[in-house]
Amino acid sequence: MRGKWLVFCFALVFLAGSVAFAQSQKIVRFTEAWPTYLDPAVGNDFSSSVSLANLYDTLVFPTYDGEIVPHLATSWEVSEDHLTYTFHLRQGVKFHNGEELKAEDVVFSMERLLAIGQGYSYIFKPIIDKVEAVDDYTVRFTLKKPFGPFLYALVRLYVLNKDEVLAHAEKTGEYGEYGDYGMNWLLTHDAGSGPYMVKEMKMEEYLHAVRFPDYWKPFDANAPDEFKFIGTTETATVRTLVKKRELEISDFRQPAEFYDAVSKIEGIKVAKLFGGSTFYCMMHTQKPPTDDVHFRRALAYIVDYDAIANQIFPGARQAQGPVSFILPGHNPEVYQYKRNIEKAKEELAQSKYANELDKYPVDLVWCAEVPDEEKVALLIQSNASELGITVNVIKTPWMKIMEEVAKPETTANMYLIFVSPHYAEAGSMLQSKYHSSSAGTWEQTEWLQDKELDQMTEDAIATVNDEERFAKYRKIQDYVVDLCPSLFLIDQPENYAYQDAYIDWIPAERAEKGEKVNPVMGYNHYMPDIKVYPEKRDELLRK
Amino acid sequence: MKKRTVWGKWWYKFSRNPLSVVGLCMVCAIVFVALFAPWVAPYPEHAGPYVNYGEANQPPSLPHPFGTDAFGRDILSRVFFAFRSSLLMGMVVLAIVVPVGVTLGLVAGYFKESWLDILIMRITDIFLSVPPLILALAITSVLKPNLTNAMIAVSVMWWPWYTRLVYGMATSLRNEYFVQSAELLGASKFHILFREILPNCVSTILTKMTLDMGWVILIGAALSFVGLGEQPPKPALGTMVSDGARYLPEYWWMAVFPGLAIMLIVLGFNLLGDGIGDLFSLEEA
Repeated sequence: MRGKWLVFCFALVFLAGSVAFAQSQKIVRFTEAWPTYLDPAVGNDFSSSVSLANLYDTLVFPTYDGEIVPHLATSWEVSEDHLTYTFHLRQGVKFHNGEELKAEDVVFSMERLLAIGQGYSYIFKPIIDKVEAVDDYTVRFTLKKPFGPFLYALVRLYVLNKDEVLAHAEKTGEYGEYGDYGMNWLLTHDAGSGPYMVKEMKMEEYLHAVRFPDYWKPFDANAPDEFKFIGTTETATVRTLVKKRELEISDFRQPAEFYDAVSKIEGIKVAKLFGGSTFYCMMHTQKPPTDDVHFRRALAYIVDYDAIANQIFPGARQAQGPVSFILPGHNPEVYQYKRNIEKAKEELAQSKYANELDKYPVDLVWCAEVPDEEKVALLIQSNASELGITVNVIKTPWMKIMEEVAKPETTANMYLIFVSPHYAEAGSMLQSKYHSSSAGTWEQTEWLQDKELDQMTEDAIATVNDEERFAKYRKIQDYVVDLCPSLFLIDQPENYAYQDAYIDWIPAERAEKGEKVNPVMGYNHYMPDIKVYPEKRDELLRK
Repeated sequence: MKKRTVWGKWWYKFSRNPLSVVGLCMVCAIVFVALFAPWVAPYPEHAGPYVNYGEANQPPSLPHPFGTDAFGRDILSRVFFAFRSSLLMGMVVLAIVVPVGVTLGLVAGYFKESWLDILIMRITDIFLSVPPLILALAITSVLKPNLTNAMIAVSVMWWPWYTRLVYGMATSLRNEYFVQSAELLGASKFHILFREILPNCVSTILTKMTLDMGWVILIGAALSFVGLGEQPPKPALGTMVSDGARYLPEYWWMAVFPGLAIMLIVLGFNLLGDGIGDLFSLEEA
């Protein structure tokens, strides 16, 4: 008898659940690896960037075409010497607590970011001299040196509500009069003016945000009322959620088998978004035999790029030069090495090591945490053996890689590493990959100490006019490709499974048409641009 | 004529247990394919630096009876070549371990209660007290991971077992009349150790060796499972299992067949070892 009651209760719970189901809301849910930091002075990884883009506003905004358009700032002026930028703010913009956004909030946000020194502060630290509020709606930045991509960098300055942050700051902390600068409170709250605001943040579990009704920009009728970021990438969970239509967009960290399986479910598609990250095989330019440019070029000509782009990382594309094709400033005409055994042999013949290859085996290190890299390592090994070059494939944990690349003596000949730009522009990539100052970090194991290249890069980055700057970038890319310090393997897409049947997701549609998607990390998940059709979801559930 | 009857008698005793014969056949088959791998394997080039991603993840089929791995290499061919390093590992390790371990055991046993005995046996005890796999792991992770160092690591952990075994036998044999008479006749210590005592231990050592072959191979596979044995692209059974395990359960053949190969080789040597053990125990009886 009791058993029957239990069954009845269960049935009731189920019924209640399905009734709740039947009333679909306009919600977008997506998964990603925890942690996420809502504090603009702390977060800079993928999930944090998505959250920040939706909770906060910035002076300027990145478009899908990689351009920068006015946002909080309606207009701006740049001084003759390119050292002073004056921005005029939009009036009447409200923070989530109803207070108005003013110039002093912008000043506060930058000062706080630089003081805390985490998050995206590394972009601004070397260039910002001071920030001041000229009046309530005018803010002025003074730079230490001309910095061409300044507007591109500004999409990472998220504006906080000064009064609200200070009201919640704990008295004791390492920031003097500011106490803890509100860091503790901002772990689970926002102080922004963005289109969405935090409703609930459950650490290690999820972030639930709802639409900000007083947002200064009108919402589309089908824009989501709320979004939920779920902190898991566990494949079985994600698969189940997608199948039950309880997840609109998956994370991009799933194995190929996952995408295969879910793309067979009705209404689900897999979007391949190129985020600007490029996969390199970096070559030590000071250690024999990879110190010889002909030896490096021989390797560049022998690698089977098609196998990497189509078979190992399906959906990727062979990189063209050191800068991802999606980044503003990429050179679409730069030379692209293709597999060509004849040319490889020609180059090798010119190398000083050509006659004593057996004396110079090449160590190739891949990162133990990324199993797919082994496939690339073995491919390069196999390709190189066609030229008589011996490649030793070495599996090394990431921590140890970072340790050994710190010194030229302990750096191996070759490393397989993915690199992403710090800000969405070619200059970021060129500087962090090939400027002398980045040698010894995991981003540059080439130990390229090329004075001429340094000079060219510094000059380009200091150029304020976009066209001139991009022209200089293109020249640098030609120079780098000729020098061949790395094998430019692939531009890597992020793969997302999404509910094509009931959401319109602009980046996915653009990617399908072969158009560029937003190169600024996080902005392809800009919720106001997504459209949700709950009735179509209900239809799918009824089937 | 007489010789043949001795062999015949041995074979009769050995084959009384059909499992021993099965073990012998398995070992012979494995040794055969390992020795002639370049000719027996359908795709010998797949054991070297070879990848073909167009053929990756193929289930077992006629051209690839064990399927292909994530690199598009024929698993059967790689298993054949992996037998080579496994057998080599077993043989080299035993070739190092047995002479060292046996000599130390003989010396310590014969000079029982002298300082030599105490020195040798306490060192042996120390080695025996460390869990064997942990010791091997520690050694291989300090040294560069490759087959030679894996062999060194396993050898370092394995010799004490032989010392212990022979020590026990030598301590009892030293009081036997034939040893005492040799001593009275003024035979050298060397003669007594190696001509009087050792021959009486041979059958036990031989049995243990055959049984150990399987265990050494298993430890070798465990080391390569964690990436400390033979380095890619050279095939090793343990590495193949650990690589394949990533693709379970969809691509089951990648882990299952190399796993079965490990099982076969260990089982074969164990059955053979039992057979040899039977042979000697019957002989003595």
